This record gives sequence, structure tokens and C-alpha cells, in this order.
Amino acid sequence: MKELNRRDFIKTTTATSAGVVTIASGITLTTYAARPKESDPVTNEKRWGMLIDTNKLTESNIDDMVNACQEEHGWGNETHSTGDQKAGWIKKVKVKDKATERISNLALMCQHCEEPPCVDVCPTNASMKREDGIVLVDRHLCIGCRYCMMACPYDARSFVHETLTDQKTHMPRGKGTVEACTMCVHKVDKGEAPACVASVNSDAVVFGDLYDPTSKINQTLKKVQSTQIRADLNLNTGVRYSGI
Amino acid sequence: MSRLLIVFLSVMLSSVVAQADHHIPNLGEKATEFKDEGKEAHKRDGMSHAASLILQRKMHPELLSHKRDKTLRQGVRGGVIQLNKCVECHTSVDKNGEFIPVNAPDQFCSTCHKKVGTSLDCFSCHRTTPAEEM
Repeated sequence: MKELNRRDFIKTTTATSAGVVTIASGITLTTYAARPKESDPVTNEKRWGMLIDTNKLTESNIDDMVNACQEEHGWGNETHSTGDQKAGWIKKVKVKDKATERISNLALMCQHCEEPPCVDVCPTNASMKREDGIVLVDRHLCIGCRYCMMACPYDARSFVHETLTDQKTHMPRGKGTVEACTMCVHKVDKGEAPACVASVNSDAVVFGDLYDPTSKINQTLKKVQSTQIRADLNLNTGVRYSGI
Repeated sequence: MSRLLIVFLSVMLSSVVAQADHHIPNLGEKATEFKDEGKEAHKRDGMSHAASLILQRKMHPELLSHKRDKTLRQGVRGGVIQLNKCVECHTSVDKNGEFIPVNAPDQFCSTCHKKVGTSLDCFSCHRTTPAEEM
């Protein structure tokens, strides 16, 4: 057995106690509704997450997800932006295993990390993580420096290069700021599922509270093998994938 | 002496013009209806309607920015202080029945903002007309 030094001991004990807190909050969740009123602040008793099964997800499913996102948030019809300037809140990504030549398609968006690098690098505190794990850009504070875009390992964020009009009421967007998937925070706060999840009919995409032991996502994650993209970075993403 | 008189008269005239220029801002479609029905918009408890309106006029940036942080960062939604509700009542309709952006010249927001020379940044991101489905 490996002998623990002082530092490792502290690390392990902190990790264990955090686990207990999670379980404890999970138990409270089953008894009490975590957020009975929309006027109450969100708490860290929940953590929203998504599980995408690439075996069940077809290419047309992914297109539907992208379209649903565009329709919900009104991005994608920027006229003056070209190439890399175009907004891409959710993307279709093809991954190929070089050894076996197996190709899988996946929908890639903001992974809503527990330790988001975009939040670490933001000089104005505009890039932020809500208590319930949703990572957002506060466009009121964003100065458009794009450090977060550099820091994001998933290339999930985009920058608005042109003046926009006719935005959606629930999704303000403007020139000179960075934007990304919000996990449809406006819908989640109302108790609805994100637009991309709702657009897929099968159970290829599961959305829910990762901490709630009764939630479908929690139970599925316990049963099936799943992975985080770039798990080596230890970001503990909220979006997980199975089948890759 | 005559030169002094001309200066005096021109000062008088300009003040009259300035008075005439001080018109009530274009309240917008729904807000005007609301006012005509004699309802008291923005009325706060323990405060006269006139005082509530002055408070609203002076403090609306503070009220809105306080609420925006709570909404964005803590997920607190609902309530009366919402920018889209401002837009909902204070936009006007043109001859073709289409909404005029609330920040367009001579519309509700820009009338005062132009007068006091303060920038109006809400609408570089936020929608300037009521939601499409309305």
C-alpha cells in the first residue's frame, strides 16, 4: 500500500468530506423541493448536467439540436461574420478512432465545468459559474478581451463581431461580447429542459440534476460507462458522453 | 444700449424656446393607455404616485442593475423590475402597426437620455421591441 504523506492525506480527506456533503444534500433534495419559488436564489444543492449517448444519437439528431439552439437563442444568422467569426454555441463534431476507424458524431457545446478555466482567466469577473453549476457570461461586465475563448479547451465560446438587432427577449446578445451555451438557463429556471434536449425524441440526451439520486441522469450515470471529454484536465464537466 | 437690448431679447427668446422644447416624453402605446385609464403606474407603498414616479425616473438604472445581477448570477426571476416589461409598455407603434424601437430618436428612452447627455447602453444587447409572439 502506498504510504500517504501529509499533503496527500489532506487531499484525500477533503475529497471524502465533499462526497459526504453531496450525498447529504442529495438526501435533503428528496424531501424538500430545492427551489420552490422563482424569486429564490439557486443553490448548490443541485448541479445541472447532461449525458449524451453517441451510440443512440444520430447525425440528424445533432442537426436538430443545433437548429433548436439557433431558434431558441437567435444565433447563426449573422450576416457580416465569416468563417471563425460565426457564432457556434453547439457544434457537430466527428471523432475518429485512428486504430479502429470507428467514427462517432457528437454534439459539443459548453461543458459547464465545475472548475471552469474561462472563469479563472476572466479579468472582469464576467465569466461566472452559478451555484447550480451553469457557466455563463455576464455581458454587462464583459469587455470582449476573449481570454475565456483562449482558455476553453472545448472551443465552446464565440465572440459577436457585428451589431445585432431583434434579439430574443430572453437572450440578449450584442457586439463586442463573448457568448456560449447557457444550458437554456431561462428554461431550466422555469423547470423546463434545454431546447437541444427537448429536440431529441429518443433518450440519447438526458438532462437533469447530477446530485439528485432519483433523477434519470444520476441513475443512468451509475449504470452506463460514461466519460468526460479531456477528463485529464480534471475540470469535472457537467456534460458527459457515453459511447466514445 | 441697443446692443444690450438685442442681447437681452435674444436671451428671453431662447428661454421661451427652451420652455417649449420641454415636452413630456413619448410614453409609448400601452403606458399612454394605462395613464388615460387613470391607473397609477410605478406606484410604491407608502409613497404618493407623484413621488413614486420621480423615484422611478431618478432611480431606474439602479433598480435595473440591482435586479440584473440577481437574475443573472443567482437565477432570481419574476418580479416587477424587468427591462422587457419597460419595453413592453413604453414602445410606440408606427403607421403600419409595427413597433418602433424604444431607443429610437424621440422615443421614450432617448428623449430624456439625449436631454441629459447620458449614454443608453441597454439596447446594444437587449431587444428594443416587445417579444415577437405578443
